[in-house]
Amino acid sequence: MALVAYRHLLRSTRIAFQGDLPLLKAARQEARNGFLAQASLRPEDPALGLAIAHAEQVSKILVENIVQGKNQGGDKYREAIDGDVELRIHEKTERGDNDTIKMPNGQKVVLDGKTCAER
Amino acid sequence: MLRTVLLRSARSATCQAVRRSSPIARPALASSFVKQSQFAPSAFQAARCYSAAAGLEKPEVEGRIIDLLKNFDKVSDPTKLSASSHFANDLGLDSLDTVEVVMAIEEEFSIEIPDKEADAIHSVDKAVEYILAQPDGKSVHSFLYA
Repeated sequence: MALVAYRHLLRSTRIAFQGDLPLLKAARQEARNGFLAQASLRPEDPALGLAIAHAEQVSKILVENIVQGKNQGGDKYREAIDGDVELRIHEKTERGDNDTIKMPNGQKVVLDGKTCAER
Repeated sequence: MLRTVLLRSARSATCQAVRRSSPIARPALASSFVKQSQFAPSAFQAARCYSAAAGLEKPEVEGRIIDLLKNFDKVSDPTKLSASSHFANDLGLDSLDTVEVVMAIEEEFSIEIPDKEADAIHSVDKAVEYILAQPDGKSVHSFLYA
């Protein structure tokens, strides 16, 4: 199980840090250190499952929530809209829907065209 | 492209202004076309081809995997590298290294090995066997050279 998680993590680093060799190497080294740090866990230890789940979640975050930006000569990476930065958004990048934020208990947002004053 | 050249030369027979530009435009077009066709094959050879002219052969796959392992700095004893080396027993790699090697093999051959098969690859000959069993090597070949 741990090896499968390790493989998934390496695959995720390949997607997240494509073409960025220093960062890719650092990420893989970090992944390896993380696994070695937990290497003493016994198979029957309940912490093992948690550690593996943690690794799987890290790979999910890497794939879905990291977008590479390439500076095209401008000052700041923030200026993506102005065309100074080229963003690499790939097919697995999470495309969230802001409607669901801050809506607890399964409340649904209704888009009916009303403004706040009309409610 | 040829049609526009023909049209232009036909038009230049009647129109003075175009006639002046057409003798310049025509040879320039013709020469750029010839140049392109000369460069096309050489540009293709410069790109790395993942399939040899006769598809993937066993010695080639073996050679590529052994070369890859030669560059893997955790191999304890490079003299033990051979077509039948076991990653853990002969090369002194731990289980994480083995995952990394299989990963590197994936990158070398531009494939993705499913978890179940990847877990079963513990030696050079197993890896060679898996690569040779892939239908892709031959289909890429027929696609490129058909």
